[in-house]
Formats: sequence, structure tokens, C-alpha cells
Amino acid sequence: MAAQTGRTVSKWIRFGVDDSAGTAREVPINTISVVGLVYEEQDLTAFQDAVKGSLPNHPDAPIEIGGPWDTTAAAAFAASAATPVLSGSHTVLNPINGGNTPLALAVHFGVRHYWETGEPVFGIVSASSANGYLCVSYTINSADMTYSAKFVLFPGSAAPAWGTAIIS
Amino acid sequence: MSGRTVSKHVRVYAGGYDVSGYSREIGPLLWEFEPAEVVTFADAVKGALPNHCIVNPGTLNGVMDATATVGLHVIASTVARRIITVAIGDRAAPAAGVPVYCGEFNQMAYQAAGDGIVTVTAPFSFAVDGTTLVYPKPWGVLLHALGAETGASTATGFDNESGGATTFGGFFVYHVTAGDGTATLSVDDSADNAAFSALGGATSGSIDFSTRTSGLVALSRQATVRRYLRFQIALGTATTVTFVSSFVRMFW
Repeated sequence: MAAQTGRTVSKWIRFGVDDSAGTAREVPINTISVVGLVYEEQDLTAFQDAVKGSLPNHPDAPIEIGGPWDTTAAAAFAASAATPVLSGSHTVLNPINGGNTPLALAVHFGVRHYWETGEPVFGIVSASSANGYLCVSYTINSADMTYSAKFVLFPGSAAPAWGTAIIS
Repeated sequence: MSGRTVSKHVRVYAGGYDVSGYSREIGPLLWEFEPAEVVTFADAVKGALPNHCIVNPGTLNGVMDATATVGLHVIASTVARRIITVAIGDRAAPAAGVPVYCGEFNQMAYQAAGDGIVTVTAPFSFAVDGTTLVYPKPWGVLLHALGAETGASTATGFDNESGGATTFGGFFVYHVTAGDGTATLSVDDSADNAAFSALGGATSGSIDFSTRTSGLVALSRQATVRRYLRFQIALGTATTVTFVSSFVRMFW
């Protein structure tokens, strides 16, 4: 099936992040923060101005996820248009939380079917030594056996962007 | 077995006691790094580096029970520093190989309440022990589920999430709930899950386990830990020791 356009729902979202070896994995999620760049608004209004004015300063794009805690063995990130293959959230997040190696991270938005190339993706789909995300939080709620995790950008990283390519 | 699970398969060990039969909830099991924002004029986007780590097992909530020796009221009503291990079973009681959350923490209170059954809460501090302060990580692997051993282990071991050896150390945690003499608990490592040898430094030393005890033994931060791990025990005067042991491996 070709890439589709139009509206969609959350069951077609796929979340990919590098494991500690730099291999893309997909972990189970059931919550995700707002995805996209948000620019810091710098108020530059003078007394003499008739209306408040501002300029956009640095953008930011932290991403927080949550989902079922899972120990499934690591598996390859499924290809475009394929059914998602999930790796355990604990399997992937335990080794990377607190690390200083930039990670590829991308949120794939399938349009009314499993995501495929050409449909929206936000993030950094290919990490380098200077570009990518870091995991800074991994917390478990033992009452309902769910996890939450937070990712921030590596200092000096290229900005994540909207694209249509799969995480690699 | 691996995959998802539910809270009835959680077990909590504190200072040599299995308090699972008195506990209703513990957490959130926090593991968080303060993101220190590092942004320069020329950066395309805001970035941050992980600064100090916060490791905190949250609050233990359980039923007030004054059963002699092992009741939660008897154990926890005296506020103390405790070694905590939370083991999470995969759709069954925790077996060796499942993830564990470990560390040494100060209990900060013991409070009772209840309209109906009387419950107690015991909140814990951030990690405080000097040996764990160099290890910003609480998650490891359960090497020996609670049970008795009467001889040395010849079993195979457990792999880790990185699928290889690591060179960043780790720490060994144990809780002994019963024993009848001296023994040494330790950890073996292996490159191939066949030929095992003792992991240097990961040993309790010879201890009289006739008394309940727990311990946390940290390796050097640069210690090499081979891919597979298993528990080990060397009996002295003891003929049987009932214990839980775990190892927290560092990946960076």
C-alpha cells in the first residue's frame, strides 16, 4: 500500500529509539508528550510600543513517553509498512538512561495504517556523535506496572525535524 | 519468560526480610537525572546533559502486622537505613533472571492510618550509602530468587541487555533470611555462559548467616564484568542458607 494522506489516530503511532549499541528499537507506549519544536518566546516589547512584540529564540523538543513495563528481548525495528515489532521497554531503556551518547529517536505517524515511508516522522532519525537525544529519566510505577521516560536533546545537536524517513 | 506483568508478582526485600506478604505498594521506583541545560548562541535547538542522578524507591505502603520477628510493624516501626531490593516477576513470582531495583536508603518515617484495615507507610530517602553514591543506577538482575541452597552453583547464568561484557563495574546485593552457620555469597561471571569464575570483589566474605542480614558490595567503577552472571555460594559451617541475591551492572 502506498503512503496515505489525511487524518489518523494514535494506534498507528510508532516510537523508535536507539539502544545502547546504536540499534533502533521500538518500545511499547501508551502515552507520549506533545511532539514538535517549541520556540522560546523572547518578549522584546518597549514602553513606547503600541502592542507587545516578541521573537522566537532557541527551540526545544523534549519528549516524554509512558507505557507498559516490558522485558521482551530486543528486536529489529520493523520496516516501512510492516507490523510493529516491539522490544521490551526495560530491555531498551535500562542501559541508556543517564548515558551521554546521542541516540536516534523518532516518532512515526502512520496514516490509518502501519506507518510507511512518506508519512510524517518527527525526531532525529539517524544519530551521530554530536546529534541526537539523551535519556534522562526512567521511572517505574509498581502499582500498575507502567514506566515513564524522558528524553532531551544532546547539547549542540541539530534540531529534530519533521520528515518522512524511517529511524535508522 | 519475558514481557509485561502485573503488581501481584512484585516482591520486596528489606534488610534481610521478605516483606512482600505485608506490602501493598512501593514506588514510584524513581531513576532520574537532572537535565542541566547547555545552550549556546549558535545552537540550533536547546540541549541538556544528565547531571546528578536521583534514585529513590518512593514509599512502601503495607498492612500493620505485629507478627513476631517478621511482621512489617516489627521490622519497620524503628526507622533505619535499609538495603532494599524490589524484584519484578514475569507473570509469576520472581525467578532468577528478572529485573530488580536495588540500593541502600534511609527510611524517613513510619506512619499508621486507616479507616478499616490499618495500614502503614514508610517513605524512603534518596540513595545515601557511600558505595552506591558512585553508582547512579538501581536496576539490575536477580541472580538468585528467594530460596535455600545447600551447595555451590553449577547453573548457567543470565545475559544482560547490552549483549556483551561491560567495563564500568557494578554492585552486588544480598538478603539472607535464614541460615545455620557461616557461608560466603558471591557472583560468578562468564564470557560464554559455560566457563564461570568468580567476579572479583563481588563477595560477601564469610558471614555467620544464623542471623538475618543484608549487604551491598560495590566493585570499582572501572571493573570488567563479563557478559553472563550467576549466583555462587561457598558453605562454611552452614549446611543451608536461604537468600536473595542480585547484581546491578553499569553500562556507561
